[in-house]
Amino acid sequence: MEQYVILARSVTYAQRMQKLLGQAGIRCQISRAPRDLTDLGCAYILRLDEKNVAQALTILRLEGFDPLRLFLSSQGRYREVQLT
Amino acid sequence: MIYFDSAATTFQKPASVASAVAEALHTMSSPGRGGYRAAMRAAETVFECREELSHLFHMKDSGKVVFTMNATHGLNLAIKSLVPPGGRAIISGYEHNAVTRPLRALGANTVEARGTLFHPEETLSAFDALIHPGVDAVICTHVSNVFGTVQPIEGIAAMCREREVPLIIDASQSAGVLPLDMEALGAAYIAMPGHKSLYGPQGTGVLLCSEGRESRTLMEGGTGSMSIQQEMPDFLPDRLEAGTHNVPGIAGLLAGIRYVRKKGVENICQKERQLALLAAEGLQKISGVKVYALPGLHGQTGVVSFSVEGKDSETVAEELGKRDIAVRAGLHCAPAAHRSAGTLEQGTVRLSFSDFNTTEEVLRFLDHMCTLQAG
Repeated sequence: MEQYVILARSVTYAQRMQKLLGQAGIRCQISRAPRDLTDLGCAYILRLDEKNVAQALTILRLEGFDPLRLFLSSQGRYREVQLT
Repeated sequence: MIYFDSAATTFQKPASVASAVAEALHTMSSPGRGGYRAAMRAAETVFECREELSHLFHMKDSGKVVFTMNATHGLNLAIKSLVPPGGRAIISGYEHNAVTRPLRALGANTVEARGTLFHPEETLSAFDALIHPGVDAVICTHVSNVFGTVQPIEGIAAMCREREVPLIIDASQSAGVLPLDMEALGAAYIAMPGHKSLYGPQGTGVLLCSEGRESRTLMEGGTGSMSIQQEMPDFLPDRLEAGTHNVPGIAGLLAGIRYVRKKGVENICQKERQLALLAAEGLQKISGVKVYALPGLHGQTGVVSFSVEGKDSETVAEELGKRDIAVRAGLHCAPAAHRSAGTLEQGTVRLSFSDFNTTEEVLRFLDHMCTLQAG
């Protein structure tokens, strides 16, 4: 099953993103970032459905959460999605 | 025991605080250290506490709420971020050692903006004459921990904004008692304890940070973020929160803040002021007692200092202690305030109230004071 994940640099950052998206009715789940998603060590990710990705990115950018990194997760593998 | 030392620490806490601490000890580990249930419960609690604090103090971004050990810790972070060694600082004449000692350690050129006790317009004029561009920071207590006098913080903040001088507010005696609007004040930092009028456990404190300030670390260590990097993260709160959080304390603080928000800051302040007024008016009737207050406790919170003619303040406190009445005597870690008020030699006896005190307690205290003075 495919799922999108947004990388967050800390748990507080992830929680602030989750709260903001929740206010827009977008549900997402926080979990630890797989080691290969970040070259800076410990981080967190938000998992969200494909249908919500575009709106989520718009909201997060509007609230200053740039730069964002988005990954597509499929069968345990992650591929970074280039954002414009 | 009758406890009138809430300006040091509120001893009586809402029952929900102890329950929250116990629950945290049983169910939470550390935030940012894992994705398992106990770690995420801890993270949720810590985040909820940041959110409550950002609502109470009118901050847009709860990520700028930093947990500290106490107000002193927060003041050290703020002062050492803004004032370089040998730098210039303006302070009020009523500062606590939590402000003056870090400045001394920095070798700062510190100037006091002094005003007569209970004359905020004098204090404001003194700040007006001293705040100039080039001053590294203005540091001012919102409420004197000795006399309960409310400083004209809005006016001082307006001067600082206009002259682009960063302001640090010591809200040790006002957080949870007076309204505080971080955004409107435009302060660089506001430091406060969690264990006084926010009713959290000892070992909790908060530093509210403004946008875009480069805060200097006092400690470096693990943050659960950017682990490869050997410098501390450049973002808050992680930059200033090295090491494991005091999760049980923060859980208790969250319960305390919810209590304050439910009761209402204004309601709590009104109750404490009424108790202080009752005590002040009663003490003024006792021969040989001098009360440091204006009629009606104008410009004062629920903190009252007094002295007894011919008696050392510590002796008075000891005598009250024998009667199971807890008050604080001496210089209250604020010699500068006593110097400003002319009470440095004798010190004062301080009564400070919380939402848990009662009229009956004040009347019993006054009875004991009458007996002591008669005896």
